[in-house]
Amino acid sequence: MPTARSSTEPGPTGWVDAVADLRHLLRFRAATVRRPRAAGVALLVLLGVTLVAAVGPLLVDGSGRATFLDDHLGAMLAGFLALAVASSMASGGGRELIPREQAAIHPISHRTEHLGALALAPLNFAWLLQAWLLLGITARVTGPDGWVGGQVVVAAWIVCATALAQVLGWVVETVRRTPHGVAVVRGLAVVLVTIGVGLQATDRLLPLLDASPTRVLADTVTARDGALPVVLVLVALTAVAVVVGALPAGVALRRTPREELKVESGSHPARPLPASDLAVLRRIDRASVWRAVPMRRGLVVLAVGPGLVALGGGMDWTQVLVLPALVISGGALLFGVNAWCLDGRGALWRESLPVGPETVFAARALTLAEWLGAAALVTVALAALRAGVPSATEVTALVATLVVVLLQVVAVSMSWSGRRPFPVQLASARATPAPPIVMVGYSARLAVSTTLTAMLFSSAAQAPAWWLVPALAVPFLVWSAVRLRRARRRWLDAPQRARVVVAVAA
Amino acid sequence: MNAPVIDVRGLHVRFGEVEAVAGIDLQADAGHATALLGRNGAGKSTTMRVLAGVVPPTAGTVLVDGVDVALDPVAVKRLVGYCPDVGGLVPRATPWEHLQLAARLRRLDDWEARARDLLERFELGDVAHRVTSGFSHGMGRRLSVVLAALHEPDVLLLDEPFDGVDPLGVEATLAVIEDARARGACVLVSTHLRDLAMQACSTAVVLRGGAQVAAMDADELSGEAGADAYRALLD
Repeated sequence: MPTARSSTEPGPTGWVDAVADLRHLLRFRAATVRRPRAAGVALLVLLGVTLVAAVGPLLVDGSGRATFLDDHLGAMLAGFLALAVASSMASGGGRELIPREQAAIHPISHRTEHLGALALAPLNFAWLLQAWLLLGITARVTGPDGWVGGQVVVAAWIVCATALAQVLGWVVETVRRTPHGVAVVRGLAVVLVTIGVGLQATDRLLPLLDASPTRVLADTVTARDGALPVVLVLVALTAVAVVVGALPAGVALRRTPREELKVESGSHPARPLPASDLAVLRRIDRASVWRAVPMRRGLVVLAVGPGLVALGGGMDWTQVLVLPALVISGGALLFGVNAWCLDGRGALWRESLPVGPETVFAARALTLAEWLGAAALVTVALAALRAGVPSATEVTALVATLVVVLLQVVAVSMSWSGRRPFPVQLASARATPAPPIVMVGYSARLAVSTTLTAMLFSSAAQAPAWWLVPALAVPFLVWSAVRLRRARRRWLDAPQRARVVVAVAA
Repeated sequence: MNAPVIDVRGLHVRFGEVEAVAGIDLQADAGHATALLGRNGAGKSTTMRVLAGVVPPTAGTVLVDGVDVALDPVAVKRLVGYCPDVGGLVPRATPWEHLQLAARLRRLDDWEARARDLLERFELGDVAHRVTSGFSHGMGRRLSVVLAALHEPDVLLLDEPFDGVDPLGVEATLAVIEDARARGACVLVSTHLRDLAMQACSTAVVLRGGAQVAAMDADELSGEAGADAYRALLD
């Protein structure tokens, strides 16, 4: 039910208060970081990588010479905006500065929420990767001449695109919270995706992106001149987007989150009692996963998104091999990295039930594996529609990559879940299974390890020896099995298990 | 005289630098309901968690019906029905799914009629198939008591069972305690509501600073005089 505007909400002068509140909340978040030194090191690493991305390409021979990158820089800048919009939409308007349950008792205005979501947007590995890529390509395009201007233009665009995406994210969330909003948003997403795939399949997407307004920015970068007025316009546009974004944010946050409430009050008829302890545990674990809005929405985006890109782009099997790694590592970030949080405050009761901890561990690991595996299979199935009939070697490579990456990610996730449990409800679409700075570390480590693994198997699949891929898989599987076993041993240790249970139930 | 069903001697529980329980001795008998009282942080809930097999003791001996909780926690869990102090429910599962999980893991046959009866007594029959994350605090507490009582355990551990529960729910909880006590179970009730504790229990144990400071008949803590005596024990 929509609620009326509160008398305590700030008026036009509320931005000063909102900024002050944001500062307090950021300070609160920073104070609750469990390992401040590690967080500091992580921030320094992020800054270091940003510097390397922006300067590194200058040091490589050939920087500043015209290449195909010059022609497509505008498309890449537009692509960044598209990615930021998708991220903002999927996360219900952006990430929460503090969880909904904790925020409820504080007079936090929609402007503070909006600014908080903007502040957290960069703490997303996909955002960081794209930003680093753009800075690197810009350095490559400009060379030392015009490097400063090019970097400032692209940096200003990254900030501006994030603010614009935030506006769209809140607008979509506003629509989603209307009586038929969920259906409208889903219908709109299907139409847009269909158009996107159609354009990509007919080779018209890249020309369209090349011709987008971001072409002006790309021209400024390649011309190595006229950066100042462009930057000023981008700064003004950013300011307008930040202010305008607060309006749909206010409307969205005043409206009831229908999708979440529908799930939270949903009814599920009784089913027959499963035949084994493992089966009944897996059933309740599955329910915890599939009945959570952030997990359902995230999985659909992860499974379908890369699959449609592959479908539209007509990827061959060598390229398709990398996709399961992307999907599986992304899927683990939805809950796998803090897998025990699924039980929430029910963890204490569940732990009081007479069942061996090894069965509980097996159920959770299998639930995670089947969830990630299902997403990867959807992606592969979509990609397969245009990838042609795979050869025996390609099938072997695909199966090996899937199994290796799946075991790798499940082992790492269960290990992290046991070592660093966080009390998270995962009720809101804006929730994450761990604090934002921790999520950046998790996503970077997962993305790097799984992508490198998939690239290795993709390369091996091109070798004439069919046995190379299975042979390569063996050490990977053994190492992941060792890690999983270690995570299981930690869970079987009663004091360690109690620490996890008490932490997630807090 | 029979050995106590709950026999705790020199229990210590540490979480890192924090000592949550600092040497508790506690005995409770079959067919009796014992109230566990004390201020916040006195160690009541941690003691309950140890007795439920959820948290292992750091030091000391904890026997539940003769079974050492440190040596065979799964056997202890079979004996115990536990209502935790916080939440106690898996957020996205329904009450019936909770009951199914408990029934399966506790190897219960013909449990459905009792489960339905308990749900009706606690006025949860209408929401048996609804996800619990939408439940009010009181509904959650009531369901936690139902889950603890489903298998008619030999040891019933209720941690803050009356917290936020309406009068009908309180009556149903008192009835569950009385039923358990009447069939010879050992009941331990941790609560801040002294009057209800005295109504439900025949003996009381008071904890302070992670240690036991008094064990007495419930009558001694009843009424105005009991309130003064209790307050004196807390300071």
